[in-house]
Amino acid sequence: MMAIKKVVIVPCSGVGKPFGTITREAAYQVTEDDRPEDTRIIPLSLLVLGDEEAQAALVGAEVISIDGCALICATKMVQESGGKVSRSFNSMEIYRANRDLKPKGIAELNEAGLELANKLAKQVDQTVDELTGKAEENA
Amino acid sequence: MSDNFQFTIDKFTFKVRTDRFYTEEGLWVLEHDGSLLVGLSDYLQQYSGDIAFVDTLPVGTRLSSGDTLFTIETIKVSADLHTPVDGVITAVNPDMVTAPEKVNSQPYEEGWVCELNPENWESIRHNLMSPEAYFEKIQSDAAKELENDGN
Repeated sequence: MMAIKKVVIVPCSGVGKPFGTITREAAYQVTEDDRPEDTRIIPLSLLVLGDEEAQAALVGAEVISIDGCALICATKMVQESGGKVSRSFNSMEIYRANRDLKPKGIAELNEAGLELANKLAKQVDQTVDELTGKAEENA
Repeated sequence: MSDNFQFTIDKFTFKVRTDRFYTEEGLWVLEHDGSLLVGLSDYLQQYSGDIAFVDTLPVGTRLSSGDTLFTIETIKVSADLHTPVDGVITAVNPDMVTAPEKVNSQPYEEGWVCELNPENWESIRHNLMSPEAYFEKIQSDAAKELENDGN
């Protein structure tokens, strides 16, 4: 029986602004806490380096990119590495929908930033469930 | 199709549309049919970073030169931007609510912010910067920024 590939999550690797950190916090929550059986994280930096194992993980997999700004490096790098982005998210969008949550901090997010990351993770969880056919199971 | 002045410094390329005027703080002002369209220059939008919100005033608001025209919140800054003319706001780009990222992606076209009916345009237009003058200013500003980053 052929093994089903885990959904690959590729977050932003940017430094210097909280919006990049939010994408990584969300990705950690999804892959380590919420959906560890169904997902794995691939660091954007490995794709930039052309790491063959990271590139191979994209082939035939459902990939969710989580970008932290308009440059959408995560989405672009997945595509340039031969992967197909099934769904892309952007932490700016989650902030636009929750303006009362003003994120601050880079290495360590403030409470508002963590809450945004949690809200983003829940959206990613839902997409993972849709991609794996477990939407009803996890509802 | 409009022409641009442009220059590249470090990894950034900045464009200045040649068909409009500019304010010191980096707004562009385009006259058409007696009204003024206003938006952010390419330099200002790149310098400010990704736009999260643009807060505008209601149509019909009367402003004096120097009053806050709208406020931007980006991933880096929150900033008030000011009207260079006396006048009344006659339109606000609805995309500023639903898709403010157009300020970043299309600053001179669909990313316009608002329209003014000016009261003193003929007298004030000479106080605005020509594209040539603004181009010179931002080249100088960008060079200083790069120098400061290197120190």
